[in-house]
Amino acid sequence: MMSTYYAGLLADVGILLLGALSVYIILATGQLSLGNAGFMGIGAYLSSYLTVTVGIPLTLALVIAAVTAGAIGVIVGFPALRLNGIYLAMATLGFGEMVRSFFLNLSPMGGSEGFHGMQHISNGYIWSWASAILLLVMILEHSQVWLEMRAVRDDETAAGLVGLNTTIIKVGAFGFAAAVAAVSGGLFAHHHLYIEPGNFSFERSIDFVLAVILGGSTVSPGALIGALLLVMLPEYLRFLAEWRFAAFGALLIAMLLLRRQGILDRSLFRAFALRRPA
Amino acid sequence: MTSNLSRALCVVGLSAALTAAAGGPAFAQGAERQILLGAVVPSSGPFAEWGRANTVTLQMLEQQINDAGGINGAKLHISILDDATKPAQATNDLRKLGGDDKVLAVAGPLTSSAAEVAFPVANEMKFVSTSQASSKPGVAKLNRPWAFRNTIDEGVLGRTTVPYYKKTFNIKSVAIIFDAKDATAATVGGKIMPALMKENDIEVLNADSPLSFNTGDLDVSAQVTKMKALNPDGVVVSADYSQAVTVIREMKRQGMMKPVVGSTQLISSAILKAAPEIPIVAPATFYATMTGEKPEKFVKDLQPLLRKTSGLPPEIEPSMYDANIYEIVSIYIDAIKATGVTGKPEDLEADRSKIRDHMAKLAGFPGLGGPIGFNDDGDAIKAFYILQGENGAWQSKVRGCSAAPGHPGC
Amino acid sequence: MLLQQLVNGITLGAIYTLIALSFSLVMGILGVLNLAIAELFMLGGYFGFVAISAGLPLPIALLFGMAGSAILAGVIEKIGYQPFRNTTVVTPMLSTLGFSIILQNVATNLWGSDPLQLSDEVLGGRFMIGPIGISAMQLTLLGATVILVALLAFVVQRTSIGRALRAVAENRDVARLLGVSADRVTLLAFMLSGALAGAAGVLISLHYGAITPYIGVEIGLKAIAVMVVGGTTRIWGALIAGPLIGVVEVITIAYGGSQIRDFVVYGFMILILLLRPKGILGGAAADRVQRI
Repeated sequence: MMSTYYAGLLADVGILLLGALSVYIILATGQLSLGNAGFMGIGAYLSSYLTVTVGIPLTLALVIAAVTAGAIGVIVGFPALRLNGIYLAMATLGFGEMVRSFFLNLSPMGGSEGFHGMQHISNGYIWSWASAILLLVMILEHSQVWLEMRAVRDDETAAGLVGLNTTIIKVGAFGFAAAVAAVSGGLFAHHHLYIEPGNFSFERSIDFVLAVILGGSTVSPGALIGALLLVMLPEYLRFLAEWRFAAFGALLIAMLLLRRQGILDRSLFRAFALRRPA
Repeated sequence: MTSNLSRALCVVGLSAALTAAAGGPAFAQGAERQILLGAVVPSSGPFAEWGRANTVTLQMLEQQINDAGGINGAKLHISILDDATKPAQATNDLRKLGGDDKVLAVAGPLTSSAAEVAFPVANEMKFVSTSQASSKPGVAKLNRPWAFRNTIDEGVLGRTTVPYYKKTFNIKSVAIIFDAKDATAATVGGKIMPALMKENDIEVLNADSPLSFNTGDLDVSAQVTKMKALNPDGVVVSADYSQAVTVIREMKRQGMMKPVVGSTQLISSAILKAAPEIPIVAPATFYATMTGEKPEKFVKDLQPLLRKTSGLPPEIEPSMYDANIYEIVSIYIDAIKATGVTGKPEDLEADRSKIRDHMAKLAGFPGLGGPIGFNDDGDAIKAFYILQGENGAWQSKVRGCSAAPGHPGC
Repeated sequence: MLLQQLVNGITLGAIYTLIALSFSLVMGILGVLNLAIAELFMLGGYFGFVAISAGLPLPIALLFGMAGSAILAGVIEKIGYQPFRNTTVVTPMLSTLGFSIILQNVATNLWGSDPLQLSDEVLGGRFMIGPIGISAMQLTLLGATVILVALLAFVVQRTSIGRALRAVAENRDVARLLGVSADRVTLLAFMLSGALAGAAGVLISLHYGAITPYIGVEIGLKAIAVMVVGGTTRIWGALIAGPLIGVVEVITIAYGGSQIRDFVVYGFMILILLLRPKGILGGAAADRVQRI
């Protein structure tokens, strides 16, 4: 049987995987979001409010939180259409910080004192959501929609010229990603049983991006590899004592230098997938 | 593509090699019988200094116990894990200590944010976890029966601090400023202090417009200018000492030499250097210049060890949190001796329960600053002191106790 | 009180200006967000502290901090940017994040996590102009900021180094055809940016008299907002945007909103991004779409 220690780490991996997937989905349309912790925070606070104060079952609360965050994602997505590249990234960064500041002042949900009262969930529950969403994204990757998303990413003008509705594709990606991040937040809240605004800071948004880029940003299982690395590496580096995080930073750079496209990429993914006896 | 594959494998291999290097339990299970305890301290991140000093303290205690023949003939081993001042890591630390290392009880985690998420883990896995610094109200209370804190609720401390402050400096009005990002500081500054001021007939001049800043802010000039314009008799600074340093230095820069009052979060030697002319009043359960046989010996033993540890400042003194974690592990050892804990793997569950039951009933344990017990909320019943910091040194002004008068715990 | 608050806001703004320029040098020319700048700023502060504690005069401390941070920025360019020159903008951003983690850890191990403090204020004299108090260090900080910005503007707009920088910013390949060594120019951009961050660190740590390894985080994010508001292509934009954001912050606090300060600042940044994507002064750079 798995030790409770590894079980705890695995729960963290599942939650980070969802956060990373939320960045991955937006990245597929060629946009970078540095504010997905904001959507995660919305999911965490809303689902906790629903289960603790309103008293509805968690699964329903997560669905409501995902739909609400998705709607907010769409609303955020519209003005974001005006921006490109690193400017959009910075606008999302600002959005994330605004959400954090909002919860810091939301006294009915504890403000900076945080919020409690959630019921603990099992690893199985976390991973049911994580694997279901990963599977959904993988299926989506083989669909027409994903091709259209990639077309927008590769050349937005051309995609528009051939009749693709680039607005719907980009805004839709934002909405879907926000919903996924919200689920991640809801699971986080019901795993740790306590949330405070500091949990949903810029640092966490960056962790999501890091997981995607380290794992490989062209195939969705890359997010899984990235999430595993980000959770396990600091644990394995404990023997370095006070130099643990310096080593983590150095390894991070080394990994990017070795595999700038991430650990998993399409060719590697295919190599594994097709290596069956003919 | 082959080269891609080999590079990817290289990264995976690197991680695997590290796993192998770090894998396995942190210590070898010898033939010798061992008593295993755990600790969670922040040895990296913004509270690194406290975590590193805590580590030295625990290593000293381990050595002392083993030199004196161990616990009931068994050797003491304390596994100390770093939580990097990150709450989520503290929970994993507890899971590792409780699940993999099979420790009997854990000292830590340090911050209230970490305790909030780590205590539920202790409850789920059924072993005692005692925080050495968390003082945000009600954190242990939510996670009974396994969570304890060797600290006193800030609300209880303030009840003695504020009247002393009022009397000494003839305070009729105050302005309150707090760190809005720090859960403990925000609770004290936003709720506890305003209520205590009301109880003591002190007017809070900015009651309708709270003044705050965020952890990590360098500039608090606007907040201080605003406070200065209100012209209060004194200032409540509710923040961790390293943030409070920023506020107090700004007060001095703007010539606002008003006496400061705050919570245990202010206690440190660093804050006394910020503006030696500004008096600071705060409660503490231990301070390095404390008199008495036990605290003096503790400081005499620990201070040289701290000062020769790399990464700690050369003029460091043992802090209240070093004293608290020393007491926590001493209480565990006392419980192990008193209740016949065996430390054998097959007795793990029973041993953990024995420690908890002993702690719940504890009264009059000889701590460094006086007798220690625990109340029904899991918080310490112990003596505390109202300290006044002036001209670079803390001086004890009032001795109080966190229990009702006449309680045997004090 | 309002006037005093304006002084506070402008001082804070001067700090933002320097760090924002440090971000925008790398961003404007290479389109890369160098997240390690927050830590170069923090280390600049420590270098300044070390120099002042060793009894060196302020200008030497300033140069020491600038040189130290510039050298580190050069190292970051060699390891954290050069190899990723042809990748998307995300990868170098993350490699600079790696440096930021390393530098924070090193500073904690070298100087501890407790605030390092100066016992005496550097240039502690205080002048009263009517109801407004301003310290000599504050005046130095403001003066140094204006001089540094002017120097930078001169370098970028009037010298051959500046022409090379602008050429690479405009079009890397064309610049190479014109005989400009793009590699050398990017190194230069990183080092100039590091020197600015280091200067900001020295000035600020000496002004506030206290420093920890974690001071770069909050102020770094704010400086990114200032860079956006000022626009990444105009140097003078930052000189206006810094004090503007500083004053917005200070006024929010002064009129009862210290809790919503960050909300206001980042909201303002997003508004500027949407209404004037090239900053308040606008800019001439083409609407280049960077690949993510």
